[in-house]
Amino acid sequence: MTLPAVDKRKQPEREHRSPVRAFTSRSAAGLAIGLALMALFAAVRMLAPSTTEAFGLPNAARDFATLSISVVVESLPFVFLGIVLSIAVQVWLPEGMLLRRLPRSPILRRLLLSLLGMLLPVCECGNVPLARGLVVKGLTVAESMTFLFAAPILNPVTIVTTAQAFGWSNGILASRVLGGFFIANLVGWIYSRHPRPGELLTSRFQETCNVADHDGGPGGRVRRSVQMFSQETRAMMPALFIGAGMAGLIQVAVSREVLVALGSNPVWSVLALMLLAFVVAICSNVDAFFILSFGATFLPGSIVAFLVFGPMIDVKMLALMRTTFTAKTLLQLSLLVALCAAVLGLAVNYGH
Amino acid sequence: MVIRRLVGRWQGVLLSLIGLVATIWLGITGQLALYIHPRYFVFTVVMAVIAGVLALAAFAFAPTEHDAHDHSDAHGAARGDAHDHSGVHRSRWGWLWPLGSVLTMVAAVVGLLVLPPSTLTTATVAQRDLNGSASALTLKAPALSGKGDYSAFTVRDWASLLRSGAGQDFFADKTATVTGFISADKTDPNVFFVTRFVVTCCAVDAQPIGVPVYHPGWQNEYKTDSWVTVTSGFRANPNSASREAIVLIPDTIQSTTQPAQPYVY
Repeated sequence: MTLPAVDKRKQPEREHRSPVRAFTSRSAAGLAIGLALMALFAAVRMLAPSTTEAFGLPNAARDFATLSISVVVESLPFVFLGIVLSIAVQVWLPEGMLLRRLPRSPILRRLLLSLLGMLLPVCECGNVPLARGLVVKGLTVAESMTFLFAAPILNPVTIVTTAQAFGWSNGILASRVLGGFFIANLVGWIYSRHPRPGELLTSRFQETCNVADHDGGPGGRVRRSVQMFSQETRAMMPALFIGAGMAGLIQVAVSREVLVALGSNPVWSVLALMLLAFVVAICSNVDAFFILSFGATFLPGSIVAFLVFGPMIDVKMLALMRTTFTAKTLLQLSLLVALCAAVLGLAVNYGH
Repeated sequence: MVIRRLVGRWQGVLLSLIGLVATIWLGITGQLALYIHPRYFVFTVVMAVIAGVLALAAFAFAPTEHDAHDHSDAHGAARGDAHDHSGVHRSRWGWLWPLGSVLTMVAAVVGLLVLPPSTLTTATVAQRDLNGSASALTLKAPALSGKGDYSAFTVRDWASLLRSGAGQDFFADKTATVTGFISADKTDPNVFFVTRFVVTCCAVDAQPIGVPVYHPGWQNEYKTDSWVTVTSGFRANPNSASREAIVLIPDTIQSTTQPAQPYVY
């Protein structure tokens, strides 16, 4: 929880002492403002012209809008779900219930954390708010990275859709699950050796963690939940919208044919599909179906690289993770994960 | 300062409101299909409603004046960090952050609330290889039953059959009725495609597929991107140099409007 949490913890108590009437009337006023804004947005939506011709946009601009909106509409429910889970972990779960039960040994802890995705079938955009919540609760930075990278792949929905799309052929499913598991733990191990892990985080998020350490009193849980919702959306929403805009823009600008043309070369196909994964920024729950549509064009190793790299790093994820990690850390992470995914893909291609 | 504080405090909730109002409106008017696969409809709308309740609660539990005051300090520090630089930066370029936030919000309002929902266009067909995707053209099981009721065949079924390399004999006695939008053949000016997008998750992964129609001079009668229904038998392409060996050669082409579900799944 961010700074506001400090005051909030004390504030509500003070408020309870003050006449309840003042509080309720203020809430009613706030609620009225919220409802008015909602009605305003709804009115704008309903009164806006319903035909595209009214705007005279060229096709490319229309498609840019459609693609970006599609990313937003697709990711939004997952981000909300992630925020709700994050609130549940931070506010409603008994203190330490999740973390106290983890084993002491750092390696075992990370192994177990990378399986946490099995219980929380959220796709990668929902994992960012959840991972933030876990760090605030006392997870180390390295452990949060392991969780962040493993959860979208070691996740029942992802495994089922990958199995539906590819079955057991070519070892694509096995390579994806084991590869994702291995890379996530490798990244966690490397960053666990960082001397000052706090420096990996943005100073804004560090403050959030520090503040959270200090607040201990009971405080209204509902109120804290609601305030966390507004804090988390403040961090996530701009990132999501900007990420979606970039994803839309790149898709309109970069021709698919160039990528597909590289498909049959064992080395280039791996790099091309990793680039595609970075660009399309599609959720891990469904990316297997997406890449299946290229199945005939690409070698199995490149598909594995796509399925491992995409859930961990892409334009939308970088924008979302930037809320938490510094730019330098993200650059290192991207290179590290890209290298691992490429090696994995090449191994599948040549070992096949 | 006041504006900066307000923007900082409320931009997340406001962007959520914009997003969820747009989502629920799309759901009510049945237009979510323009962006995502129908299997996500229920989940998407349910999460939007939950977020709506939380967003309204965020307004009801707005922090007091005292809270808000402490906030602005925290915020100043927070803004700076996005840059990872010192206070000098903050004072000179600090105004960029609220400006960026406001721009993001304006873009969200324009994109989600003002622009009419729209399908992908031929610009994306040109950008993503038409009929280039294998799984979009995998035949569903009942398609080849032989005795088949071909009247129910969609653009996708016919495009798959054409792509599967079935010979001219196979198509000789079959009549297709297909609806889609017009996209030009890049190589043969006499041919256009009746085109649809196949969507597996959301519009981002849409793959264009199409059935070729031979109709010299179609450019004068129809615009690309306009929707048509074509009924015709399959014939050999009179232009033997063309990439499409088997085409529809219709007597009539009927203009139609965009169907409620423009994509195929």
